[in-house]
Amino acid sequence: MSGLRLRLKSPPVGRLDLSCLQPVPLLGHSAHGVAHMPFGDGTLGDLFEISATGEADTLILAGTTANCDGIGDGLGAGIVIVEGDAGAYAARRMTGGRLDIRGSAGDYLSAGMKGGLVTVGGSAGDFAGGQLAGDKFGMAGGTIRVAGDIGERAGERMRRGTIVVKGKAGPAAGSRMAGGTIWAEGGFGAGPGPLMRRGTLIGPSAEHLLATFADCGMHDMVFLRLISRHLSATLGELAPRPLPARVRRYAGDMATIGKGELLLTN
Amino acid sequence: MTGSQHMTVNGVAIDDTFAEAFGMSGTALIITADSMKWAMISAQTMTGFGTSVIGCGAECGIDYEVPASETPDGRPGVRVLIFGFSPDAILPQLKNRVGQCVLTSPGSACYNGLESQQRLALSSGPRFFGDGWQIAKRFGGRRYWRVPVMDGEFTIEDTCGVTTDAVGGGNLLLLGRDRAGLLETAEAAVAAIAKVPDVITPFPGGIVRSGSKVGSKYAGAVASTNNAFCPTLRGTTKSELDPDTIAVLEIVIDGLTSKAVADAMRTGLKAVTDIGASKGVTRVSAGNYGGKLGQHHYHLKDFVA
Repeated sequence: MSGLRLRLKSPPVGRLDLSCLQPVPLLGHSAHGVAHMPFGDGTLGDLFEISATGEADTLILAGTTANCDGIGDGLGAGIVIVEGDAGAYAARRMTGGRLDIRGSAGDYLSAGMKGGLVTVGGSAGDFAGGQLAGDKFGMAGGTIRVAGDIGERAGERMRRGTIVVKGKAGPAAGSRMAGGTIWAEGGFGAGPGPLMRRGTLIGPSAEHLLATFADCGMHDMVFLRLISRHLSATLGELAPRPLPARVRRYAGDMATIGKGELLLTN
Repeated sequence: MTGSQHMTVNGVAIDDTFAEAFGMSGTALIITADSMKWAMISAQTMTGFGTSVIGCGAECGIDYEVPASETPDGRPGVRVLIFGFSPDAILPQLKNRVGQCVLTSPGSACYNGLESQQRLALSSGPRFFGDGWQIAKRFGGRRYWRVPVMDGEFTIEDTCGVTTDAVGGGNLLLLGRDRAGLLETAEAAVAAIAKVPDVITPFPGGIVRSGSKVGSKYAGAVASTNNAFCPTLRGTTKSELDPDTIAVLEIVIDGLTSKAVADAMRTGLKAVTDIGASKGVTRVSAGNYGGKLGQHHYHLKDFVA
């Protein structure tokens, strides 16, 4: 399928739910046909300038702002490129494909995500990879890579998958985490891993460690090589630097079952 | 001259016969360690006592060394193959061999070495050594277990592929008039076969000196000495040997595919005929059961260039 580019004619003044804009089925129609599809009280053509592109299976959303919510909601296949910012709930319940946000993303980025790849050129808000209201767990698969920082409680109730942050992860990253990996190259804010049961937090430092994380010493673990090589294969040049040979392992949160870990690389 | 000779190559007679082999199940593992030395020690230990399913439960061997750049964790590795009658028969062998010989080996890790839809629960035994402290991690659709041990962690992949298209029992029989030269020639054939991927020669050094026939005069013995190929019995039994034959050595080949076994037999036979009769090899034959038991027949004449 050939690609489509949808450019907002003007920035939205209120919240704008774009969760219905999916590569499938939009890319199966011509630009003219898409322009006449109903959207809200009008059509997509009322809101967007729509044109065809030569990029196969790719939907480009341009001119978006932090008011544009739900981009890539439930994405299962294809590529969505956001030339601008994304609002809340981008890549919510995503199962496959790829979402590239060139700007920043709002809260609940990839909440409930199960597969696929999300990249963010800027920063992301709170609860990235987190848990949606009513859900038992947060992110359960796939990979998120954020070039900037992420907000508070990233990976809330996260079960599987990987979050890589080039910058810093905000306070309480890995809150109530049940599995998966958060790798913050810029380090963690205060109190990473509160009530964490399982899972892995990796970073050079943390602002403040919870008293319920137990120092297990410096170690060279084979699994560090596995994750470095996996991310190198998945993210290419966006992959974090390979981990050092030895890291300091803190087990926690000992206030729960203590099978999670915080690995500090400095 | 005994037997039906087909042709002579470089002074070595090639029998017009075939090796009769059987369908088996097979799996492959990649064992890594901090150095090739320790990866090889672990691999050799876990494939030990793995010559024949009859007495060992599995037929095991080392396929090849894997360079660090091609292993899952970037450390030196060794690929080992394990064959059994069925996937269900291989599983307990995996548990015991990995649990006793890889888990215990310093710095080791153990990964799947065969991509296949059908899977075996590779970690189903060793991970419980963690006594509750074991941790599962999933990367890119592959699940690994981290088991705490006294030198750090033992990492093992959750499952490994298994194929039911494997073949066991490809073979070459080398007959000769000089025992030392015969062994030297057989060693050269095994070394050549070792370069063929997806096959092993599971017997000691890849060579069998005690070929067997099915059954025995004694109740309970499923196999016994192949008296037709025993040189010291030439005058007392219906011998298959020529008057000048004083020793016979067999190379048994197991492979993950029938093509791999055929490639190995072709390679082994070429190594023998390249040396020729100069070392004392007079004849090459192959073991079969009349063609009625095994599904795979490898005719020697098809492997003569």
